[in-house]
Amino acid sequence: MAAADLDLLQGTLDLLILKTLTWGPRHGYAVASWIRETTDQRLQIEEGALYTALHRMEKRAWLESEWGLSENNRKAKYYQLTAAGRKQLRAKTALWAEYAGAVFKVLETC
Amino acid sequence: MSRIPGLKRLVRIERDGAGIDRAVDDELQFHFDMTMRDLLANGMSADDARREAQRRFGDVTATRERLATIDRSLVGRERRAAWWGAFTQDFRYAVRGLRLKPGFAVAVILTLGLGIGANATMFGIVDRLLFRPPTFLAAPALASRIYLVRDNAGKPFTSDYTGYQRYADLRQWTSSFELMTPFYINTKPFGTGEATKDLKVGISGADLWKMFDIHPVAGRFFTAEEDTPPMGQRVVVLSYGLWQTEFGGRRDVIGAKIDLGPDKYTVIGVAPTGFNGLGTTPVAAFIPTSAASSQANGGRKQTWYTTYNMNWFPIFAQRKPSVSVQTASADLSAAYQRSYAAQIAINPQTTPIATAHPRAYAGPVLRDRGPDESNSAKVATWLVGVAGIVLLIACANVANLLLARALKRRREIAVRIALGVSRSRLLMQLVTESLILAALGGITGLAIAQWGGTIMRRALLSDTDLPSALSDGRVLLFCFGLTVITGLLTGLAPAVHAAREDVASALKAGAREGTVQRSRLRAGLLIGQAALSVVLLVGAGLFVRSLVNVQHVRLGFDADRILSVDLSDRGVKLDSAQQVSLHQRLLERAQSLPGVEHATRNLTVPFWSDYEWELHVAGIDSVSKLGNFDLQAGTPDFFATMGTRIIRGRGIRAEDRAGAPRVMVVSEAMAKKIWPNDDPIGKCVRMGADTNPCISVVGVAEDVRRGKLSEVDLHYYLSIAQFQPTDGGLFIRTTGPADAQQERIRRALQRVMPGVSYVTVTPMSTIIGGETKSWRLGAIMFTIFGGLALLLAAIGLYSVVAYTVVQRTHEMGVRVALGAQSRDVISLILREGLKVVIPGVALGAIVALFAGKWIAPLLFDVSPKDTSVLVTVVVTLIAVAVAASWVPALRASRVDPNEALRAD
Repeated sequence: MAAADLDLLQGTLDLLILKTLTWGPRHGYAVASWIRETTDQRLQIEEGALYTALHRMEKRAWLESEWGLSENNRKAKYYQLTAAGRKQLRAKTALWAEYAGAVFKVLETC
Repeated sequence: MSRIPGLKRLVRIERDGAGIDRAVDDELQFHFDMTMRDLLANGMSADDARREAQRRFGDVTATRERLATIDRSLVGRERRAAWWGAFTQDFRYAVRGLRLKPGFAVAVILTLGLGIGANATMFGIVDRLLFRPPTFLAAPALASRIYLVRDNAGKPFTSDYTGYQRYADLRQWTSSFELMTPFYINTKPFGTGEATKDLKVGISGADLWKMFDIHPVAGRFFTAEEDTPPMGQRVVVLSYGLWQTEFGGRRDVIGAKIDLGPDKYTVIGVAPTGFNGLGTTPVAAFIPTSAASSQANGGRKQTWYTTYNMNWFPIFAQRKPSVSVQTASADLSAAYQRSYAAQIAINPQTTPIATAHPRAYAGPVLRDRGPDESNSAKVATWLVGVAGIVLLIACANVANLLLARALKRRREIAVRIALGVSRSRLLMQLVTESLILAALGGITGLAIAQWGGTIMRRALLSDTDLPSALSDGRVLLFCFGLTVITGLLTGLAPAVHAAREDVASALKAGAREGTVQRSRLRAGLLIGQAALSVVLLVGAGLFVRSLVNVQHVRLGFDADRILSVDLSDRGVKLDSAQQVSLHQRLLERAQSLPGVEHATRNLTVPFWSDYEWELHVAGIDSVSKLGNFDLQAGTPDFFATMGTRIIRGRGIRAEDRAGAPRVMVVSEAMAKKIWPNDDPIGKCVRMGADTNPCISVVGVAEDVRRGKLSEVDLHYYLSIAQFQPTDGGLFIRTTGPADAQQERIRRALQRVMPGVSYVTVTPMSTIIGGETKSWRLGAIMFTIFGGLALLLAAIGLYSVVAYTVVQRTHEMGVRVALGAQSRDVISLILREGLKVVIPGVALGAIVALFAGKWIAPLLFDVSPKDTSVLVTVVVTLIAVAVAASWVPALRASRVDPNEALRAD
């Protein structure tokens, strides 16, 4: 992938994770599965990058984490949105919509 | 986090490095296990599932590392945030506690403020006198002042004053130094006419500028070529201050000519602000040595730059970086010996090398660190120790107050421990509290130092360039360090005390159970305070008595009523007849002025100048072996002007004019020295040679002190008409205090002066003021510090006794109920107070007696074991102790037994 696209991808990944967590705390695997299923496996997201994004957003205090018990009674690290995370989500969603709209506008003029 | 529904908290996030790695591994392990489980559930084979999981994840090792790095920085930040949170919590808690007890807080802050302020003030002074290298010095470690030592009658005599030829020799014959320059400060008149004023002028060689890290603000500095004997160039570098005040900071001043001393100087540059050369006093302008000295007369057949007989400046030098002080000193000694040999070749009567043992060394730049340490510097050094003691007392006091508070808060602290507040956290809280108090005390202290420094500068050390506390980085740093130390010192005792608290017993005990707590630590602190106060007050008493003695010592003249008038010809050439007539006109003018009682011409001024002449008396081999005999000369009103009493015979009269039989008046000490068993009146003294005509002694005057306050001089007086000196000035006796008339008389006399020549008028009391400075400094500062110590000790004692009374309310109630009279209760409490004060006073008295011998050389006519001082101090301290215990004792005697027993 070209370097220029990385920013876009990075921002998009953050956006997807934040959106996923609006339905409540999840562990990393659940986030990955949810994104894969919701996009019908069309977005190929490397899970390593996903975990990196989770930890980085925790460091930025958009997310909080805590160890808890998973549905099959195993120890798992759960992430949940913070107020700052919600704010980021709103801002990024707006930005993305604007961006997508602009791209479409260009494509449609041809 | 506990908001997450249905989530059971299992483990805390790991805080250490290994824990972080483990947590990352756990998280990823879970992820892989789940992926495998789902893929296997979809019917994939184990191998395929593992491969698929790997593919989906990407580079596991790199990710693992990345995650751990992110988490580590997150944990670090959280830990800092937690610390900061705890700190702000402690801070708020402490501030709240202090605001509940504003009286306590103010007492502590003021106590510490006074202690820190006293120390900062003294530090500023001593730092300037003894420690701080001159501002801008490029290599302070390499710079030194050169001290010359020779033996005089078997005893080493050290001096840093020397002359130009010696300087030239040392410069030429040493190889250890990169730079060498004379540096001295001279007062020179600046301007003309009535606007003439005196400036402090720094005089040096061109190397001076290279010793400093400075650049001219305008123009340039002078060069070695401009400082070449015999004349040099009359060029001047202005100080920044003079440039601003006299020339408005204008750049076109470069090239202008200014009147300085007898000559006109061309301004070539301006030095940066704050530059004072190598001295500690402010300097207004800088000129080359050769230009400044060109008027000096070297004596017979020699010039000022070839003679070895005049010494008028110290030499400063900068070593080459590779040369040690020892090597440089050896090099200097060798050069000095060579120079000394050259001196003997010119003056064969010089003491031979074998007896004089000339040697030299490179010593401290600041004179007060060398062998010629001034009395003021010695006293200031003492005062640093004294200020330290005051701070110790202040700390003891604050520790005591905090301890009392900690005891009062015993139950509160026990409850907090019981509720699970960790002891280390509790310690932190208490230390935070004392650090806040210390910080506020430090700020108060700085304000006091700023104020104290101004007073010291104005009243006591006017000739020292003392920076103000707030603008001095070193004083600020010192204050900060002191504050931290004070905070820890005062906080530690109560904190340790509180942390050792036994929770159960503190909780069980009622308030009255605390009575058993009679802290040995607190009594020890009080004893120490009392002892230190005694030591300081004894010091104060000794200095005050010295000062009183100094001020009341009979000088042999009435200093308060006398003005000394000095004449400067500033290049106006007068022959001796014109000189005499000028002096005569000045004298007549002075005598005609209102407010002038008497006036006389003089030859020398006490403490400023002296004059010696070879004397011959029949029957005595060598008069000079008996001591130094100082010569003074005056007109008929001389003794009336000075207030010097004639004990026998007569003074100088109008008929003792030129041509009349020559007369002499001798001082009592001189009469006793020369004619111990004889009447001096009518004796014959010959001056210069034993073939010269007789001068007959016509009177004996009372003794005078004119070189040192502690010694009377051997002194004699001639009629000025029969001596005809070309120099000298006037003494004027005013009707009231002399300093009030100074300016008026100066203006009146200035009008008599021809051309640009001018007069300077100085009150005699100012001249003597310089001599009494060290005692004044000692008396004032010891008294301030001693008073401060006494006040602090009294507050400390009061608070402890008052606290004990509160604690023993119950006991007092019982006593009163059992029939104790209020008198009994009062005496009981007073005895409590005295029980700690008396051992303290005794200890202090012993220390004061022992330490006395160290300050003996600084005293004037007082024994360091002076009983009246010691007794006064002891009585004062005990009286203060009684007074401090009286109020709480009275309160104890008024305890209502009903209430006291019902409480609890």
